[in-house]
Amino acid sequence: MEKALRGWLGIAMTSLAACVALGQTTFDAIVDGGKAAELVPISLSGYTGEVEATLRFDLEVAGFTVVSPDRASLVLVGKNGSPVEGTLQDKGRRTLFARAYPGGNARLQAHALADDVVTAGIPGQKGIARTKIAFKLEPGRRGARGDVISEIYLSDYDGANPFQLTQDGTINRSPAWQPGLKTLYYTSFKPGRPCIFSHDLASGARSPVSNYNGMNDGAALSPDGSRIALVLSRSGSPDIWVGSVNGSGMRQVTKTREAESSPCWSPDGRMLCFASSEGGGSRLMVVDANGGTPKALATGGIRGATEPDWSPDGRWIAFTRMGRGENFEVYRVPAGGGEAVALGAGEDPSWAPNSRTLAVVRRKGGGRKLSLLDAFTKQAKDLKTISGSCGQPSWAR
Amino acid sequence: MKQFLTVGWTSMLAAALLLGAGCKTKPKNLTAFPATDARGGSAELGSARPIGVGPGVGSGTGLGPGAGFGPGTTAGPTNITPPTEPMDNVPLPTDPFTGPEDRETLKSNTVYFDFDKSTVKKGEQAKIAAVADYLKAHQDAKLQVEGHCDERGTEGYNLALGERRALAIRESLIGLGVPAANITTVTLGESRPADVGHDESAWSKNRRAEFVLFGGTAGAVR
Repeated sequence: MEKALRGWLGIAMTSLAACVALGQTTFDAIVDGGKAAELVPISLSGYTGEVEATLRFDLEVAGFTVVSPDRASLVLVGKNGSPVEGTLQDKGRRTLFARAYPGGNARLQAHALADDVVTAGIPGQKGIARTKIAFKLEPGRRGARGDVISEIYLSDYDGANPFQLTQDGTINRSPAWQPGLKTLYYTSFKPGRPCIFSHDLASGARSPVSNYNGMNDGAALSPDGSRIALVLSRSGSPDIWVGSVNGSGMRQVTKTREAESSPCWSPDGRMLCFASSEGGGSRLMVVDANGGTPKALATGGIRGATEPDWSPDGRWIAFTRMGRGENFEVYRVPAGGGEAVALGAGEDPSWAPNSRTLAVVRRKGGGRKLSLLDAFTKQAKDLKTISGSCGQPSWAR
Repeated sequence: MKQFLTVGWTSMLAAALLLGAGCKTKPKNLTAFPATDARGGSAELGSARPIGVGPGVGSGTGLGPGAGFGPGTTAGPTNITPPTEPMDNVPLPTDPFTGPEDRETLKSNTVYFDFDKSTVKKGEQAKIAAVADYLKAHQDAKLQVEGHCDERGTEGYNLALGERRALAIRESLIGLGVPAANITTVTLGESRPADVGHDESAWSKNRRAEFVLFGGTAGAVR
């Protein structure tokens, strides 16, 4: 704990120093001040084609807006490669960095440059351009018994390099990463009814984790990767259970008649947030991961709150507000409860490691698409490269 | 981080040993992820190097380059493979609810629900009584109750709602004298619509619970 504290202090000092050096307020300060973060105007020159498109996408997701050089507060000048190069200057034409990015491919080089621009241009914010997401995808076929087949996919955070992980021809759903490891957990109907499996992405081996009677769903791994929270109905009602990451030693954490769903962990691994519903309607609850009495999380009077996700910095909980019909909106609320802020259309939010960007699902014309939503500027970017109806994004972190 | 890795791998090993799923750990088809780019470049990114350092910003500012895929910056897998074995052989804890399914015998008893409700409507209760009678007359039969939802609801919410529907029926059946051990539940959420339309006519057909029989004389003879 002390070590962690020292680490945080270190980061705080570093960002403070960077912030003083650049004469900018930090992103955190903007958020703490209750103001919506503002888009940072940046200009790009010297890039074309895939490199330009990649840079533009990465920077727009991270909270920049691409403008002409005369209106920009940051100027990025460089060339496509090989390798991709970039020189970032502030308004006073002071060079913040000048780097070349050898190795990889053009796309990866552009991502690395974008991450450096984020670090230099928005003090305190991490670049996410080289992270991955997992999600479920419905290729549009019906399987045995009329199942809408869904498979687990992985891709770069921007939807590039999609990879079909499962080829089961059945319902696979609710993917969840084991933090820091190349292991994914998900529910599969492959054995005939829903069971949770862990899938080692390095070897391809799958191991059963939970296969009780009834519901086995909603796997969420603790931030240290050692424990798993699940929704099981073996007690007669869908409840939250917590156990070892291999599925052993499962203990019932909630003992309500209500149906619990979508557990997520606080970053210190001590608390769980989940949705609870009974007879229509849904609200968010928080409970000690070792058990205890769940407490309602105040969401500023917003009703129909489901699908919470706790930001990695511990400060926010994003959730879906269910309206009647298909009007779903993503909100964020302080993790201790308080006023909930509407962020725009979407559902099933998953935080990026930067605690700023959310992967969400948006319904369009009968299909569902993934979109990246800035939780502070509310800017959204759709992932256009993936065909098929998508859902349940889980950001690797 | 090293500690987490150790815990993770120990757990995985324990999982394999405890559950005895007989996983083969040797991958068959190694597929690079992300795929090597079309121009033949390697997927590994080198360290960024300076191309002319401007005034005031040296290498010691902590604005370090992202050095490719590493823990912390990405959970980015570089090599990912599909499963190496079919999952059909994974053992289930309660075998009575596996094997040949009978979805026909109790088909006419499919129970329909109101929007966002898991309580059984008065008009639907006779169907549950009929299912209870059938199960009491066929003591070997095992029943799976499948709860379904329409698409109006988030996926997370609908999974819980489908399970509540199935559990409500299971509770009714137990109340009518069917042994609890003979009934299991499954929630499909919105993953198996009876009607794929996007209007109330379709939705009303999708908010339902279906009955599936396994084993005993029910599944085999019928």
